[in-house]
This record gives sequence, structure tokens and C-alpha cells, in this order.
Amino acid sequence: MSTADGAEALFQQAPCGYLTTTDDGTITRANDTFLDWAGYRRGDLLGTSVLRLLPVGDRILFSTHCLPQLLTAGAVSEVVVDVVAADRSRRACLLTATRSPAAGDRAAELRIIVFSIPERRAYEQELVATLHRAEASEAARVRAEEDLRRQALRDALTGLPNRAGLDAELTHRLAGAPAPFGLLFVDLDHFAAVNASLGTAAGDELLGVVAGRLRASVRESATVARLSGDEFVVADQLDAAAAVALAQRVQAALGVPLVVQGLEIVVSASVGVAVTASPEDTAERLLHHAAVAVHRAKAAGRRRVEVHDPACTDVAVDRLRLLGELRRAVAGGELRLHYQPRIGLAAGTMTGVEALVRWQHPERGLLPPAAFIDVAEESGLVRELGAWVLDTAVAQAARWADDPAHRTVEMAVNVSTRQLADPGLVAAVTAVLARHGLDPRLLVLEVTETALVTDPETAAATLHALKALGVGIAVDDFGTGYASLTYLQRFPVDELKIDRSFVMGLGVNDGDDAIVATCVQLAHAMGIRAVAEGVETEGQRLALVGMDCDFVQGYLFARPLTAGALEDWAPVDRTRDERAPVRTAG
Amino acid sequence: MNHLAADTAARRANVTVLGRPGGRTVVLVHGFGSGQEMWHRILPAFTGEHRVVLFDQAGAGHSDPAAYDRVRHSSLDGYAGDLLDVCAELDLHDVVLVAHSVGAMVAVRAAVAAPQRFSQLVLLAPSARYVDDPATGYEGGFSREDVEELLDSLDHNYFAWSAAVAPMIMGTPDRPELGEELTHAFRQTNPETARDFARVTFLSDSRDVLARVTTPTLVVQCRADALAPATAVRRVHEGIAGSVLVQLAAIGHCPHVSAPEETAAAVLTHLRNPG
Repeated sequence: MSTADGAEALFQQAPCGYLTTTDDGTITRANDTFLDWAGYRRGDLLGTSVLRLLPVGDRILFSTHCLPQLLTAGAVSEVVVDVVAADRSRRACLLTATRSPAAGDRAAELRIIVFSIPERRAYEQELVATLHRAEASEAARVRAEEDLRRQALRDALTGLPNRAGLDAELTHRLAGAPAPFGLLFVDLDHFAAVNASLGTAAGDELLGVVAGRLRASVRESATVARLSGDEFVVADQLDAAAAVALAQRVQAALGVPLVVQGLEIVVSASVGVAVTASPEDTAERLLHHAAVAVHRAKAAGRRRVEVHDPACTDVAVDRLRLLGELRRAVAGGELRLHYQPRIGLAAGTMTGVEALVRWQHPERGLLPPAAFIDVAEESGLVRELGAWVLDTAVAQAARWADDPAHRTVEMAVNVSTRQLADPGLVAAVTAVLARHGLDPRLLVLEVTETALVTDPETAAATLHALKALGVGIAVDDFGTGYASLTYLQRFPVDELKIDRSFVMGLGVNDGDDAIVATCVQLAHAMGIRAVAEGVETEGQRLALVGMDCDFVQGYLFARPLTAGALEDWAPVDRTRDERAPVRTAG
Repeated sequence: MNHLAADTAARRANVTVLGRPGGRTVVLVHGFGSGQEMWHRILPAFTGEHRVVLFDQAGAGHSDPAAYDRVRHSSLDGYAGDLLDVCAELDLHDVVLVAHSVGAMVAVRAAVAAPQRFSQLVLLAPSARYVDDPATGYEGGFSREDVEELLDSLDHNYFAWSAAVAPMIMGTPDRPELGEELTHAFRQTNPETARDFARVTFLSDSRDVLARVTTPTLVVQCRADALAPATAVRRVHEGIAGSVLVQLAAIGHCPHVSAPEETAAAVLTHLRNPG
């Protein structure tokens, strides 16, 4: 066999398929191995395009990738293609090719080697399928995470964005939006009453309706969110005038009566409006400004729209800061009780004390109740504060009662309107008395006229229950409210405390003289004691003696004192047997 | 990917500027399948007289991978936007756009969006739609199933094309100046973006855009073009009012690669004697 014959045999019977083509892919030679493998006769292929051997996808790849690369770089390697066999079946193969450029009269030639790779192809298909599955599951994971994130940003009840969702949306919108941007803080009035009287299911239904109405009364572009409870936010690209107009529309929409669980309810809302004033205004600041404004709307009588006024910020901010500090003060032991002696006017001796709360503020010093009691009342913090005062005062009274070195005195404790309305008050008083082992007759609870008027039935029931415990009841600040004699007779009252404003006018203002005298007479007519507060001068004392007032309290005798100072002020031996509990138990 | 994309359009698109600095500007827009190296063989015909600007389409060649945006680059307008960004950044005017394959439709969209920038369009083996549209009797050359099969083929070559697989380069002793570098350039194809680009290329329809072209246009057709059959190329020619159609002797889809001299001659003749 000659070398040429040997080379020819090697070409024809090589362990792989060989094809040669011109630059444009026209087949010029095909070896036996390729023909056997693909089932073609030589005449079928010569002169035809190699592209015809490829299915359409591979044909595109070969045209766009392999041929240009061969012509430019001179080689391609290990491209995976299918060859369409004579029987139309597809045979997976690996294609490697080089280009031999034209030389002399020999034209350029593409030399193509084809390896059959059924197994490798199977593996590759498996790998590619795995890859796609991994991609799909990654995509599913990303989707699931997005869903989760979306849910975390949504309020489940109304489907609106929640606080976090609002923050995210606002931050995004403020970044992209040209000023001005307006935000409405919508707070439903008296929502707690709906929850309390109709149940939380009704409350939830109401919130759903409110959410729907808010959404329906704003533009598509507006953000509507539920912050918490009965607080909603509407935000959109609005100037101040448009924001107020929208606030009024929102109020009108919410004000349409609705039926919840068979009952017609009319919802009203207070709205605080804030509009961006500068590009530096963040979502947080805008929300805060609107919250301050809605706080003002509430304070001014609800069902109002208040626009954030930068000048007002300080007052409102102070208030909010104060509330936060007070919350910490109650929990952190910054509250103190001072005790103001009450003197039996006839004998001139101490028979009891009134416990008065003070706040030992870390920066501002000792604060009187006037500096913080309003904030406590508004926020509901007054309940915790009241509970602390009651417990501390009763504990102190019990210590004095048990201490032979100190005189036993009545302890008068103020009870706020909220406390009186609290169904748990009687149980709490019972528990406190039991815990500290104080004789109930040594405790006097002082309630205001206003507290009695607010919910007379509940107040009467509570006071009767307290009375049954043996606790005394005093009406505080008497004369400033509207309680008539007959009205007062509904309550088991032991004591009228005449308001200091009348006492101060004694001897100066004839009208005040008449009022105080009438109050004392009224008390005696009801068979109860009269107590004058705020006695500061000897003249006032003498006037009260002349009116036959029973007890007095005021700077003339003593300021409110700490427990230790009081012990020094009223040594036991002075009045040991002069304590005279005038009121009768039961 | 969190890498910041390059801060200039030119760097994102791996722009190369060659040729005569004061010459008329020719921007070469490559098509599906590679990057600017595709123009290698035709360059010498232009660089003597023209200023030649080459770039890589997003996701192809040496373009900045961080600049590839699956959303922006899910339509040909995204690619056209990239091209216009490059032109604006380099302050190119009176530009001759020479575009190949799907790059031709990128160029058409750019020329419609900013006609003042371009003086001539040269479209090599263009097709405004690859998939047949039986409703209008349009023959793009491929069925929907064909395109699916193409995407399939891309998958099968996933491993062959990943940079991780070292290519077995057969020697090309007679062309030492090419070999390595160009082969490497071809190997840059990212399987993922190639798949995306294939989808955009083969599923887009630019027929409506053709009528809005006002730039003088030369349409160059090859014989036996597997990607842009005669019917598709003719549709481009007919769609662009006043366009000139030139039929080359070159076979296949890449005349600038397989027949650079003939292709360059046709283009240059037209530029010297437009219309």
C-alpha cells in the first residue's frame, strides 16, 4: 500500500467523520465513516451545503457563529450539533473544524471533524435540564421571597400597606417625585368605643369599610396605608391646598353612615395634614408632622382637619416627648408621693393626709401634677399612674397605722375619671388594701364632679361597691362642676372638698363667701363632712371656723410633705388620742 | 450582580476607534453571534479614508457585563439606546451606520429615533422579522418551532461556550496573527446573554419601523443566506422608501467575513455615489 493509499484509507476509515467544504459550506468531500454513520450516499452530499445536514437551530448557530469564526480565526472546536441523518433521525455530535486558506490554485477549504457523542449528549442534556431546573427553582425562590416581602409590607386585615410598607413606598415616592408631596394622617374618632361595644369583629369590619372608602376617595396614584389600629395614611403628590381639599373629601366619604352587624354607625375622623417643605423632608419627618397635626385635631375636638404648622411643632413635640418620658418615669420609679396634712378645724390637729403625686424629673427637677397630668389623662397612662399612687399611698398609710411611733391617719387618694370608669377598680382597691393590710376606713378616694357626671350609672355602682368595702368617698374640687344636691344624693359620698378657688376668695369676694358657706351647709345637710382646700391665710381660717367647716388643708398649716418630713412635722405624742374619724363606715 | 457598570457608554460598549481621525465616521454594528471582531476582515477597506467606530453590543464580546440589563436589553430599542448613547457621548455626526444581521434593525431603530445624527444606513443581510407571519403572507424563513429549536441548540452549546471550558484550538500555522486573540473574542459569548439575545433577535418584529426611516439606506443581500432569506431582505428594501438594494455574489449570512472585498466595494461605491 502506497503512502497515498494509506492516507486515503486513514481518511476514509478514520474513527471519526470527516467533511471538507468550501468557504461557503459547500461539501467537497465526505469520508466513509461519516457516510456510514449518517446513512448518506456520497452523491447525496457532495455539492450541497453542510447547513442542510443541520436542524434549523444548529443551522443558525453554524451560520452566525461557526462560519464567521472559521473564516476569521481559522478554527472552531467542540461545538455540539445534531446532524440530521438520511433517515431523518438526529445524531448528536461534536464538531471541530479548521480552515485551510487558499494557496496557489488551491481554494480555501474547511476541514470538519465529527465525533458521534450520543452518551456525552445524554449527559449534557441532563446537565442542561438540571441547570434549567435550578434556574426555575431559583426564580421560584425569588418569587416566593418577593411574595413574603410583599406580605410583610401589607396589613392582613385591609390589604393596605402597613407601617413598613408605607415607609418603603414613601421613601421610594419621595425620591422620585417632584415637590410638593402631601400626607394625610387619618385617625378615626372613638373607634375604641366601637370595638368595646360591638366587639372586635365589628371593629374589623368597620376598618375594612374605612379602608375601601379611603381607597375610593383618592386618585389611583395615591398611597393608602394602615398604620395601626384606627390610624390610616393617605399620601400623594399634593400641595397644601389640594391636601386639605382631599382631607375634607376623605372626611365626607368616611362620614356616610354605614351598617355594621345590623347597627348603623357614623364614623368621623380627625385628619392631620403635612406637606413637604423642602427636598430634605423624609418620609419619617412628613409622617411625624402629620401625626402632630392630627394630635392637634383630636385635642381641638375631633372631626377636624389640622394642617401641620411648623411653628406649632415645638409644643406638640414637647408633649410627645413628655409622654415618652412619663412612661419611663412610671416604670422607672421617678414618681414620688407627697402628703398634705388635713386638719380638724375645731381641734386644730391632723386627722389625715392627701396623697399628691410628684415627678422627680431627671433634668427638670420635681414637677407638680399640673405639669404632666393632662398628658397622662390623654394617653391613658393615667391608669398606670393611678395604680401606682394608690398602691404607694395605701402602703404608706398601713406603715403609719402599724407604727406606734406615728399617728394613724386617713389617707386620701385621688381617683381619675378613667380610673373610675375602669371596671377593675373595685377589685384593685380590694387587692391593695389586702396586700398592705390597711383598714378600709382609713382610705378615702377622691373623685371629681366631672367623673361623676361622665357616666353616672357606672360611677354610682362603683362607688357603692367601694363604700361596701368600707372605703370613704370624697367629691373633689366641689363647686366647679354642675352637680346638684339631688344629683349628689345618688352617690354614697362622705365628704365634700370645696374647691380652692372659692376658698381663696374668702374675705375678699362676697360671692365666694356665699359659695363656701353654701357648700358647707349643703354637706352638713347631707350628713357629710366639709373640707376646705387651699387655706393660706389666718383670715380664711377664721372665716371657715365661722362657717362651721369641718376640716381644712393648705399652706397655712403645711405644704405637701415627704413621708419623712411629715413624721417630723407631726410627732406622735402631740395628738395621739385626738384622732377623730368623723365619718361613719357603711 | 452588584458590580457598578462603567461610567461611560464608550467603556460599557468596549468602543474602539480606528482609521483617519478627520474622516467621515463609519459606525459598525455587529449582529447576533459575536462582537466587533466580526468586522476584522473588512476593516482595512475603510480605515484609510474613514474614521471607524467599533463597539460590542450589550452582553456580547467585551462589553461591560455589569451594564447588561435583562429588562433594558429585552427589546431591540434597548440596544438602539446603547448605540445612541455611544454616538452622543462621542459627539458623532454625519454618521454612516453599517449594520449586520439583527444589528441592522438596531441601526434602523436608532436612525428613526435620532435621524439628525445619521447620513447613511447600510444594512447587511437584514431581516425585519425572522419568524414567518402567515396572516400577512410574510416569509421570514423560520417558524416559531424553529426558534424554540435554536434556543435549544444554544443550551446544548452551553458548556462549549462557557469560558470555563478550555477550547481545543487546532493550529492555524498559516494565520498566526489571528488565532488566539480572535478565537478568544469569539469565546466571550456568555451562554445566558446569548440565549436572551437570540430570543430578542428571533422574536422581534421591526416591519412597522421600516416605514419611519428617513435616512438614505443601502440594503445588501447575499445568496443562500440561511438567516435572512431573499423574501425577508426584499421586505426590508420595500419597507424603507427610496432604499437601494444590492445583490452580492457572496454566499451565506456574513458577507463581510466571507467576502470582505466584495462587500466593502459595494458599500464604498454606494457611499461615494449614494442613490
